[in-house]
Amino acid sequence: MIQNLLFMNGYGFFVWASFLIMFFVCTFVYFKTYKTLKKYEKEFAKEINELSIEQKKSVVENSKIASQILSTYSKTI
Amino acid sequence: MFKLFSLSNIFFWIEKLTSFINSVFFILLLVALSFALIFSPPDYLQGDSVRIMYVHVPSAWIGLASFTFIALLSIINFIFKIKNIKLITKSIAPIGLMFTCLAIVTGSLWGQPTWGTWWAWDARITSMLVLTLFYIGFIITYKFISNDDRANKISSVIAIIGLINIPIIKYSVEWWSTLHQPASIKFAGSSSIHSSMLLPLFLMFLVLLLYCALIFLMKYKTEIIRIKKKNLKRL
Repeated sequence: MIQNLLFMNGYGFFVWASFLIMFFVCTFVYFKTYKTLKKYEKEFAKEINELSIEQKKSVVENSKIASQILSTYSKTI
Repeated sequence: MFKLFSLSNIFFWIEKLTSFINSVFFILLLVALSFALIFSPPDYLQGDSVRIMYVHVPSAWIGLASFTFIALLSIINFIFKIKNIKLITKSIAPIGLMFTCLAIVTGSLWGQPTWGTWWAWDARITSMLVLTLFYIGFIITYKFISNDDRANKISSVIAIIGLINIPIIKYSVEWWSTLHQPASIKFAGSSSIHSSMLLPLFLMFLVLLLYCALIFLMKYKTEIIRIKKKNLKRL
């Protein structure tokens, strides 16, 4: 059963290569995209934290996105 | 109504959607892979090599659909000048490019045992290669042109010109004599593929669509933050 699954009557190399290439490319792109997103979120939170208290207050009040990101990252920065 | 499509609301829905996709993705992936690699029968002519179809065909569909979507959105953008569209097309393009390349690579891996060659300058394969070049052109404009409006215009023109290539890809197997087989799945009329193979094919397509949605949402979120960062610098 396992041997059949691996060798697939001589087509194993082609089938497994296709699925593995797909898997590795998709995994790589997922982690790269995730890393970039987290990097931008972190930088954005850092930039907000560097603003003066008044500016920070107005940004957080006017932007739901800013307040959401800030609440996630305020503990880590 | 317009408030519903504000970046803040979109951002909120992205969070919700991402966690929903994450919760169902791995179960669906396991089911789809089990059907594609174990439960589906081998083809009477191609044997087990037919299993490559379960990654090759959905990849090609996604590559084609993404570019069509980008081109149609670019036309809308030309007419109505909606800023959000630029963010959407910019986020879809890398996904489309990735799946077009994967379709070519897995097609090549399927071609060797089936046709006895890794590559042929066949109408379908060549037109898919042309699609890859259009994707690269579209992405490169944003990387190398610093003026956002100019980059947006040039990339939209590339997408609209590239739209001509889509029906060429679709009908290349009917217009020219090609190594590539004609379409087995027809939306109008009966398909020449058995349901035992259709099920894993659609399951894999669903899984890859969910994956695309996940990557798109993350990329789109990154673009929104990039805009917010720019606005912050103006303060």
